[in-house]
Amino acid sequence: MSERQPDMQERRILGTELLWSFGVGVLIAATLSVIVFTALTMGINPPSNVERADPKTLHLSGEFTEHNLGTSVAADGTVTARIIATQFMFVPHCIAVPEGRPVTLRLAAPDVIHGILITGTNVNTMVVPGFVAQVHTQFTRSGDLLMPCHEYCGLGHSEMWATVQVLPEGDFRPDGNGRVSCAQR
Amino acid sequence: MAREPDPRLQASSAADSRFDVADEVDEAALAAVMRYVPLGAGVLAGTAVALLVLGYLLIYALVFIPRGTVG
Repeated sequence: MSERQPDMQERRILGTELLWSFGVGVLIAATLSVIVFTALTMGINPPSNVERADPKTLHLSGEFTEHNLGTSVAADGTVTARIIATQFMFVPHCIAVPEGRPVTLRLAAPDVIHGILITGTNVNTMVVPGFVAQVHTQFTRSGDLLMPCHEYCGLGHSEMWATVQVLPEGDFRPDGNGRVSCAQR
Repeated sequence: MAREPDPRLQASSAADSRFDVADEVDEAALAAVMRYVPLGAGVLAGTAVALLVLGYLLIYALVFIPRGTVG
């Protein structure tokens, strides 16, 4: 056996490793490109909103007082649903939203950390006391969707869920104050 | 009861003990094996990663995107 043989083998192994590294680099770049592309063209990105809300006065003043909870349509047509997540319920228990229109969900918690997801959609966020969790989304089909708490919040956690009622555009009719509730259906 | 002394302890150096010395390597056989081992490892790892990426892309395109925008 010649002296060069081991050296050539090492070179071949190095070549294979470099090729593999290149392939992995291409895959990582492709994955990041998909994420950036969908973020720029479809507006899909993780919800991020840093906005403080005092949990001690949540129910006393500000936008999360009881009469202001639920879905409201502003004069410019924007739809916002405000929800309190508390041990062990969501207030309101049913949230009416339109199909095929941009909707903003705003949630706050007065007690402990909660979390929500809406089944069949990409809506998924934590609800941390002291902050307002905000998610922009658009529901693509009508129907009743389950919205459970997905962050263990105490003994009644499994009973903490709400319904998101996605209404066809014709059935989504705000009242005189721009409010929409599930009961109006 | 007297025990047989451990033969490994009698050696003055690990290199003197046949327990601690690697088997002799047949360089020709090693060279022959090394012609195929990196290729096989590459094919195995490549197939595994390709399946993983394919699964990611399928879930992204068929589940995540149809679920609608979020931000």
